[in-house]
Amino acid sequence: MAWRNLWRNRGRTAITLIVVAAGVYSILCLTALVEAWAQSSRQATLDWVIGSAQIHAPGFMDDPKLARRMAAPGPALRAALASPGVAGWSSRLRVPAAAQSEYRLLPVTLIGVDPAAEARVSIIARRIERGRFLGGPQSEGVVIGAHLAQRLKTDVGRRIILMSPDASGRLAERSFDVVGLFAGNLAAEDADVFTGIATTRAMLGAPGAVTEIALAVPNESRLPAVLAAVRSAAPALDVRSWRKLSPMADAIDSFMQAFVDIWLWIMFVLVGIGVVNTQLTAVRERTREFGLLQALGMRPRLIVAEVAMESALLIGLGVAIGMAASGLTIGALHAGVDLGGLARGAAFWGAGRVLHPSLAASQFVELALIVWALGVLVALWPAWRAARVSPVEVISHAT
Amino acid sequence: MPLEKSETGGGRPIVRCRSLSKRYKVGAVEVPALNGVDLDIAPGDFATLAGPSGSGKTTLLNLIGGLDRPTSGSVELDGQDLAELDKNRMAELRLSKIGFVFQAYNLVPVLSAAENIELILQLLGVAAGERRRRASAALAEVGLAGLEDRRPAFLSGGQQQRVAVARALVARPAIVLADEPTANLDSHTAEELVALMARLNRASKVTFLIAAHDPRVIARARRHIEMTDGVITADGRHEPVLAAG
Repeated sequence: MAWRNLWRNRGRTAITLIVVAAGVYSILCLTALVEAWAQSSRQATLDWVIGSAQIHAPGFMDDPKLARRMAAPGPALRAALASPGVAGWSSRLRVPAAAQSEYRLLPVTLIGVDPAAEARVSIIARRIERGRFLGGPQSEGVVIGAHLAQRLKTDVGRRIILMSPDASGRLAERSFDVVGLFAGNLAAEDADVFTGIATTRAMLGAPGAVTEIALAVPNESRLPAVLAAVRSAAPALDVRSWRKLSPMADAIDSFMQAFVDIWLWIMFVLVGIGVVNTQLTAVRERTREFGLLQALGMRPRLIVAEVAMESALLIGLGVAIGMAASGLTIGALHAGVDLGGLARGAAFWGAGRVLHPSLAASQFVELALIVWALGVLVALWPAWRAARVSPVEVISHAT
Repeated sequence: MPLEKSETGGGRPIVRCRSLSKRYKVGAVEVPALNGVDLDIAPGDFATLAGPSGSGKTTLLNLIGGLDRPTSGSVELDGQDLAELDKNRMAELRLSKIGFVFQAYNLVPVLSAAENIELILQLLGVAAGERRRRASAALAEVGLAGLEDRRPAFLSGGQQQRVAVARALVARPAIVLADEPTANLDSHTAEELVALMARLNRASKVTFLIAAHDPRVIARARRHIEMTDGVITADGRHEPVLAAG
């Protein structure tokens, strides 16, 4: 009876289906798109140098100098860094420094890296605008940001001098060939200077020194477990997730999540209003019938169940249509949405040029189920109204 | 047609009303619809309830059928005091003991003729196969064999009212309450319907209480009750003028 009742007023059924399907479609598609934006924004920041988490000697984050260095990772820490979920890790010798060209002296951060290990954590090698990235840990060239090169009035093939306090506290300096310029992240372009880690250690007189270990955990949900394992393996070290390391990225991520949540609630309310409105109209049109059913002996709770069943079927159908349409849309966009002309604006916000919308199957189903459950829940009100119809008022005519 | 004073024959009446009153509130004004009605309906009766519009016929049927509550007085149906029943138990009682036939047919439009009848059996928890069999038999009994799958919109007024009668009788209720069942029918169809109800009354011994103006209905009745201004003014038995056909 519930199923047949859906098709009594095809116009109203169609309107409800459109409301629910459009609601589900916009909820799922926009969630996928905003999450892709948030993911892109987060990755664009983290993939430069931050990584998913970093390990330092205590106090280094407050006063990042060579004196607060740590030993190369031992077997326990290496085992923790090999735990599931860690895509790679890289030891760095990161110290504050000054870069001098023929024209200017500017403050920079000197980062000595092993390019092979760094490639598993950072995308820096893939963002070379001109020249090349470092050849190995002994590389004696430097890679600097395109913007820093502009400010220093230098270029690939020219030399700059890097200065930083060495292990004994005296100022060490060394000249380097600029072998490459990277671009794509304004903050990194201005400050970060990369060279081989062995070269940096030699320059600073600190053999085997490490001031930072960055690790990449692509699946965010696995990060807490990885951090716990690392902290357990190296309890004396300072282990921080990207949220602590980059409050800006964390804020953008939280903002995006809040935006999605607000959007979801607006859509839930709109779908709820649509469902209540159409179901109330349906109940009003069938007042006489509900009175009849009660007169014939149908108990009020069965009438509630009958109307709720109609709502469940109708909303379920709308949800299924919305899921199918959004599934097709997200699938089609998953290959990449090129922001094109928006790319510069996107870069300002830290997002990449191409977004890859996707939703985990569990989230996809969960959101659709929430819409369905909320729809059925709000439809209980019209159902309750139907059960309160007085049979005598609608069936009889006083004589 | 001389009327003899009605008696229930000594057995327990199927309906027993005592000092039954009902007042409706219309704004600030109280309108009396029934004033202290005493009435017994014996099992197997085929009784008509007549009176001018506003005399209280429908109100009395509604109170007997448990569709409404009296302002004062009592109604017993098959020994059960209706005042003791809550909404759900009242619905159960209506389902198992009362069949209703309304003036406006009141079939569920999305269900076929057979499904309208099966609905009652479904609510009573009868198995699907048995429901179908009994619905078909009930339709055959009212002369609508072969129309099981027709929706109400594709049945004439007379056919719809026959389906309503079949629906009222399918659960073998203690009493069928019919409110102006022929009011919307042409005279020929009305005649057929009344004859059908009289025949079913004789065949199945189901009690009928019919509110009606229609002399054809009254002519078939064995008991006739007259009402005016919410009170019973005449109540007597007579031999039906027209035999059940």
